[in-house]
Amino acid sequence: MIEALNSMGISNGMITSTAITIILCVLSIIAGRRLQMVPSGLQNVAEWAIGSLYHFFEDIMGQKACRSYFPLVGTLFIYILFANYSGLLPGAGHISGIAAPTSSINCTMAMAIIVFVAMQVIGIREHHGFSYYKHLLRPFAFLLPLMILEDLVKPVSLTLRLYGNVFGEETVTSSFFDLIPIGLPVIMQFLSVLMGLVQALVFSLLAAIYIKESLPEEEEHL
Amino acid sequence: MGLIAIGAALAIGLATIGPGIGQGIAAAKGLEGMARQPEAAGMLRTNMILSFAFMESLSIYGLLVAFLLFAKI
Repeated sequence: MIEALNSMGISNGMITSTAITIILCVLSIIAGRRLQMVPSGLQNVAEWAIGSLYHFFEDIMGQKACRSYFPLVGTLFIYILFANYSGLLPGAGHISGIAAPTSSINCTMAMAIIVFVAMQVIGIREHHGFSYYKHLLRPFAFLLPLMILEDLVKPVSLTLRLYGNVFGEETVTSSFFDLIPIGLPVIMQFLSVLMGLVQALVFSLLAAIYIKESLPEEEEHL
Repeated sequence: MGLIAIGAALAIGLATIGPGIGQGIAAAKGLEGMARQPEAAGMLRTNMILSFAFMESLSIYGLLVAFLLFAKI
């Protein structure tokens, strides 16, 4: 069945990413099915995870912005974390059907474009019109090309950072495996556990900061 | 072909020098700040990781160029 999907042009990364999405959806539905005032079991775990994530982003974006835009950045964090860790599954990248989605540039670029579009949409909505784009003229008007370039480079750097980290880490692990199959790859695997978390954090943190930058300034100190 | 291999090695080798020095300085200053003001440690840590990510992305660009060159050999 996986071979049939592969021959249709659906890559292993896409299959894994769909599986992650389904798993996350099912977990969320189970955790939120019978909500209790005193949580227990899965609901407790989910509340703890989402609560600590929420407080983390609240510190960065501010109370009001976090309330509106936490769903986007929080989802990005959880999805990227699971996507990075799916590369640690046994046989990932060699067995067909399992591969870290973030080790493909298509996946990371799609997420970066989502963040870029969200920046524009949120900026226009919060400024009530196209006055959002006045920030491009702010320090000096003649810096306009530079400011436009700076905005356009943001999704590119988001894409390349995540893709480069995950892809590079996987390539280095596999070349370590070719050198000494026993022991040496474990070090890189341990590092990649750390790296998966940090990269997920960095991607969603940068998304949060970019979104916060596109908000009107007077709301910053709320 | 040999030149491409040397180019790939130089790309990643040189790309790690600058971020390495920069991250060392940033980590030193960040830890200094945390030691001096432990109550600000959480905020400092977040900002430190964020600045690490910016610096690290430079060497990641070098790594990607090295991979691109490596594929040409």
